Amino acid sequence: MRTISKLLKLFLILAVFSIPSFALRQNEIEPVMQNKIEKVLAVLKKKESNTVRGQEIIRTMDPVFDYALMAKLALSSKTWGSISSAQQKEFTKLFIARLKQSYLDKLDLYNNQKVIYKGVKPYQKGRLQLQTEVVGKDETYKINYNFHNSKNNGNWLIYDVELAGVSIIQTYRQQFAGLLKEKSFDEILTQLRKNQPLKTKQS
Amino acid sequence: MNARKIFIIAIILSYTNTFADTAIENNSTATSAISSSDVNLTNENNTSITNTTSFEEEFGDTSQTAVFDPFSGYNKFMTNVNDKFYKNIADPIATGYANILPEKARISVNNLFHHLRFPIRLANNLLQFKIKNSAEETGRFVVNTIFGLGGLFDPAKTDLGWERHDEDLGQTLGFYGLPDGPYIVLPILGSSNLRDTVGLVGDTYISPLYSADADNLCYKIPQNTGQDILIASVELINKTSLHLGEYDLIKKDALDLYAFLRDAYTQQRRQKIKE
Repeated sequence: MRTISKLLKLFLILAVFSIPSFALRQNEIEPVMQNKIEKVLAVLKKKESNTVRGQEIIRTMDPVFDYALMAKLALSSKTWGSISSAQQKEFTKLFIARLKQSYLDKLDLYNNQKVIYKGVKPYQKGRLQLQTEVVGKDETYKINYNFHNSKNNGNWLIYDVELAGVSIIQTYRQQFAGLLKEKSFDEILTQLRKNQPLKTKQS
Repeated sequence: MNARKIFIIAIILSYTNTFADTAIENNSTATSAISSSDVNLTNENNTSITNTTSFEEEFGDTSQTAVFDPFSGYNKFMTNVNDKFYKNIADPIATGYANILPEKARISVNNLFHHLRFPIRLANNLLQFKIKNSAEETGRFVVNTIFGLGGLFDPAKTDLGWERHDEDLGQTLGFYGLPDGPYIVLPILGSSNLRDTVGLVGDTYISPLYSADADNLCYKIPQNTGQDILIASVELINKTSLHLGEYDLIKKDALDLYAFLRDAYTQQRRQKIKE
């Protein structure tokens, strides 16, 4: 009995230390996201250059996104499995840059609209969805953040964002699937490289 | 050895569950969902990218989820025409219009158009048995007519929290199980499909903003095609002025604009029908 409780203690200690410091717990999703979104909106109001604001916004949002998974899902696992690891690496890099730029571009449209937090709801297959609404001039837009339990260690990360009922990952999947019917994967990489919007060093 | 492994896994499971069950309004579904996903722990705790099988199920096989598009030739042509129309006509006019008329006024014009479409929303909410929404729509119409200067303002929403419930005949047909049908790009109006185009014709017939059957339906505002076009143009420019820059962002975002618009439209409509 003593050994069991010892083991248990040891394990709990180990478990606590093995959690990365930024781990987002299930019950923290709403408050942490609310905090982050409000911070992003505050940054938008700052009178600084777009680059500085952009960096600050990306820094705020980075820890909650599972970019690697998003890149893989955007391409579909089938295609992902068919390309070389070098291609996977470059695709992930280009795709993530694209996602970030696209997010920053959208924020340009932001004009003091109110964000309403609708809570975290169970979503597909044990995943969770944070539902928010942005009250626009013409209509109210639903923005949903889909979280999955990353590595099942209780760290919840975003793998998809739905804007007004449109899944970002799904639109990319369809576009890539369509493009792959006409082009080789290398040609797609070239296209991604060409309209590479963020100033990442071309290697 | 094996028993110890199981023991360790059990501890990890109970550990993660202590976090899991403190959260979430819908406790029962959430926790049951959590424990089922925890089972995966045994086979994928060492990869940085999790097993994507269940995600692939969520998004579906792209060859099967692709939008039915037998008219792609015509559709691509019309997407191009609409793109030119937006870039060279609608956008410049709307930009000029936005410079003249303050945003508050344009929002009021927009409110008025929404207000006048009340019969379409009411009919389609009723057809889908959305009784509460139908009642709220009716309440909105009365409140905004009296206290919103005939629909220019939306006190029903701002003061009473009664949201507009957009429903159209396309959604109603979808509600009754009619499939999307082939994707169709309409001139000026853009993305649609066969079901929604049929719905649009039906909605237009009862719309106060279109003169169809004006002799019999006394609430019709325009009395002839000329007036129809005038009203539709004002609405188009006014609406465009409230969404300036958005289309350009979509264009910038899309790897393939045509495929993007087609897929986004289809997803959005399916979501609206579900709601």
